[in-house]
Amino acid sequence: MKNFKYIYWAGVLITTLLTTNVVTAQDAAVKRTSPASIERLKAGSLWMDTYNGAGLVLDNLSYYSDLKFAYGYKNGDYKLNSDGERERAITVSSEGGLKFGGGYIWGSFSYVNEAQRNTLFNTTMLDFDRRMPYYTVDKNLSDFLKQSYNLAMKVASKPLWNKVILGAQAEYRTKVGAKQMDPRSETYVYSINVKPSAVVIMGNHRIGINFEYQNLVQESTTTNSDTQVNQDVFVLRGLGNGYEATVGGLQSLGMFVYKGNQVGGGLQYSYLMDEYRFLLSGNYIYGMEDVISSPSKPKKEGTVKTQEIEAKLVAIKDGDNLQRLELSYADSKLDGIEYVQQLDNTYEVQRWVVLYKSIRSDYKEQIASFKYDFFRGADKNYKWRAGVLAQYKKNDDIYYIPRSTEMVENLFMGINGKYSFGLGKKSNLLVGANFVYKDNLDGHYNYGGAKPDSYIITDFMTPDFEYMTNSYSMFGGDVSYVTSISKNGRTSLFVKAAVDYYKPVDLDSDRIQSTFTLGFTF
Amino acid sequence: MKNKIKIFMVFLWAFAGLTACDQFDDNAHTKKVEPVRSVIVLDLQLGDAPTPSEFNVKLINYNERYEINKTMSSDGMLTVDDVIPGIYTITVSAEMNEHGFTYNYSGSVVNTEIIRSGVRQVVKVESSKAGNLVLKEVFYCGSKTPSGGSYFRDQFYEIYNNSETVQNVKGLCIAIINPLTATANLPVWAGEDADKYVYALQIWQVPTDQDYPLNPGESIIIAQMADNHQKPTLNPNSPVNLITAEFETLVRTSSIISDNPAINMTMAFWPSPTPQWLTTVFGGAFVIYFPSQPIVPANYVTPVGSTTKCYKIPISEVVDALELVGNVNQMNLKRMPTVLDAGAATVGGTYNGKSVARKVKETVNGRVILYDTNNSTNDFEVMDTPMIRRYGAKAPSWNTWD
Repeated sequence: MKNFKYIYWAGVLITTLLTTNVVTAQDAAVKRTSPASIERLKAGSLWMDTYNGAGLVLDNLSYYSDLKFAYGYKNGDYKLNSDGERERAITVSSEGGLKFGGGYIWGSFSYVNEAQRNTLFNTTMLDFDRRMPYYTVDKNLSDFLKQSYNLAMKVASKPLWNKVILGAQAEYRTKVGAKQMDPRSETYVYSINVKPSAVVIMGNHRIGINFEYQNLVQESTTTNSDTQVNQDVFVLRGLGNGYEATVGGLQSLGMFVYKGNQVGGGLQYSYLMDEYRFLLSGNYIYGMEDVISSPSKPKKEGTVKTQEIEAKLVAIKDGDNLQRLELSYADSKLDGIEYVQQLDNTYEVQRWVVLYKSIRSDYKEQIASFKYDFFRGADKNYKWRAGVLAQYKKNDDIYYIPRSTEMVENLFMGINGKYSFGLGKKSNLLVGANFVYKDNLDGHYNYGGAKPDSYIITDFMTPDFEYMTNSYSMFGGDVSYVTSISKNGRTSLFVKAAVDYYKPVDLDSDRIQSTFTLGFTF
Repeated sequence: MKNKIKIFMVFLWAFAGLTACDQFDDNAHTKKVEPVRSVIVLDLQLGDAPTPSEFNVKLINYNERYEINKTMSSDGMLTVDDVIPGIYTITVSAEMNEHGFTYNYSGSVVNTEIIRSGVRQVVKVESSKAGNLVLKEVFYCGSKTPSGGSYFRDQFYEIYNNSETVQNVKGLCIAIINPLTATANLPVWAGEDADKYVYALQIWQVPTDQDYPLNPGESIIIAQMADNHQKPTLNPNSPVNLITAEFETLVRTSSIISDNPAINMTMAFWPSPTPQWLTTVFGGAFVIYFPSQPIVPANYVTPVGSTTKCYKIPISEVVDALELVGNVNQMNLKRMPTVLDAGAATVGGTYNGKSVARKVKETVNGRVILYDTNNSTNDFEVMDTPMIRRYGAKAPSWNTWD
């Protein structure tokens, strides 16, 4: 809890720094800021989305910052089991960047408070982004409360001898969550990610390099409020395989501790040619995450070995209008390592000894994306914008013995646009619409384990697989009212309402998610 | 400046490398799992018993919930392919009828590693005539009261004459062995012959004041408290009325505990008795035996590094044994020597009002014969409602209060 206090105050500090006009830097020409201007600013940046903080100074970004308060609500039964039937999220976030001593500093802070109602088959995990296959599930319907704090920063030095830029970026995340019904849980996750970087300038050519190190720790404890009733849980090991366990009693499932380290690096090459700017980047990550139960007498539940490679090409055309093209490919492979262990019962020792280990499962993911955006108007606040996107995504997972396989292959295609309606000198209305169609190309799930009739397979794995392999249409729209509120006209207030509606092709279910935001841009 | 940049980069690499190094080294070269081949060889120590032509072989990996069943001849060697590397319990069993006797053959190797191909697993197989007295049904987990409370006074142990001859239960002992609940932390016992004994935490004995004959097909009930547990003052939700039990383990009476018609057992060994003989609702490990020597509580022993007082019971004196565990995840946490019980039984929870009961093997001339292969996993099944004298078992004639 002490950590959270520090994070909270660090967030407040950053928010204050980013939103105080006093620190408005030398580039703060009196121009009205708005969500559209920030969107336009980022779209014109080559280096913002890379892992190389040093490159940020090359984008010649101006000062900007925002502060947002958002209320999000999701409702509907088209979802994964672990999602809530209803979900509420309150978010406070701030982001901004400024030129500083010839370099550039960027930072962000966010706090999210989530309440998920009626979740299923997730006892301990707070997010599934890292695709961890070793975790505990149960079949009791339960609410889940979560809080997260994210702090991120990027810093780039001024070009040294007009040749070399040094930089770094870092991200600190913590998340805490609690499942509300027996078997209830408390989970704490922290991660820190550091990426030192450098860029060398050679005329119109820029060559960048960055390294990466990440450390992650998660602790999950499971308990019962009603100590008279033990609760059955299932510890997953991938694709529905795993083992049954009990929370409560003398042999209760112990605490799970996840400890992960990740290293990696990336190379970037950028070329400038008249109105055109290009950036080609590649990144590689290698990581290991151990899952240990009962830390007082540690027993390895498994280890995940991660290898990720990605390549991305960004092309930007400046001029009267802004055009941005992105092509990217990412390939990741997770090896699920399991252990054969025996308790060394020698009186003086009493510890679990690893006799054998092997890769029991593999999880592969390939993502290829295309994205094109057009911004009409060279001004910071565009008149209108339009974009198209396509993404191919394939997940191919296997559990070797007993053999189980799951494959999901989807194609996402989308089109979006926004138009700014002027409402006098000080205000405008930004209206957007977007449409995404998910086309399921292929998919199968074959469970070959010992208990095909288990509720884990029939009620959990199979419905989630059906969700992932269902084609859907997503219709979305958003409206923002933006008005200038400061004397110099730079600061704006905006209110935004956004709605996305998901309708699967083969199911009667649906899901709607909406967000209401009050924000300020500076 | 170039030197500073170099130092900067070297420092960063060193920092990242050192932090993650150990973890990466541990698993960087881990290979994909490959099934292994196990070779099973029998070491037959059958004495005068006949040799059956075929044995049933079972390899159980409790962690994986994975089981392989095979048969093999008595003079051969069994090769099992495509085994998932892991920790296994291998059990070998057979049954044979000859000269009017039923012989059981059993052997096991518990928690043995099968992680490399071709390693021979030698299983020692011994024979025994089917037991005369067996633990027939045990209700150990307790029940729930109407208000949702936990009730544990209705525990009972039924012992059945599974033979075709009259058995005398005079002096018969029932003991719960150490450790009380299934655990991976087994106590260590001193002495070279330590594995020739089981170590009791508590022992109750049928009085030796008179004979207590038990005809074939008859059973005795040993109750923690031989009362009608369904009466309003106890637990109307209890599944059993034990007022007709032959014996009870009375420690002392109280406002709840009364001295019932059942004969009071003798507390033969219990260093620190509590008001009632409550055995663990998580599942204890029990033996019944006839002691060859009088039980002298002062002759207790303690495990290495512990002060828990226990009493040595020679395995050779054990008539029957039953290992109970809290749930299926604990099946490999064996406390009972496999020569007595190669498996384990469980109702899978506490206070769920269920019992474990021995399965019926056959009925001969109206006499029900129960399975007794010295493997509780195979011999027992879970009963949703506990019941005394199931399958038509009769009370002994000297039970005049039945």
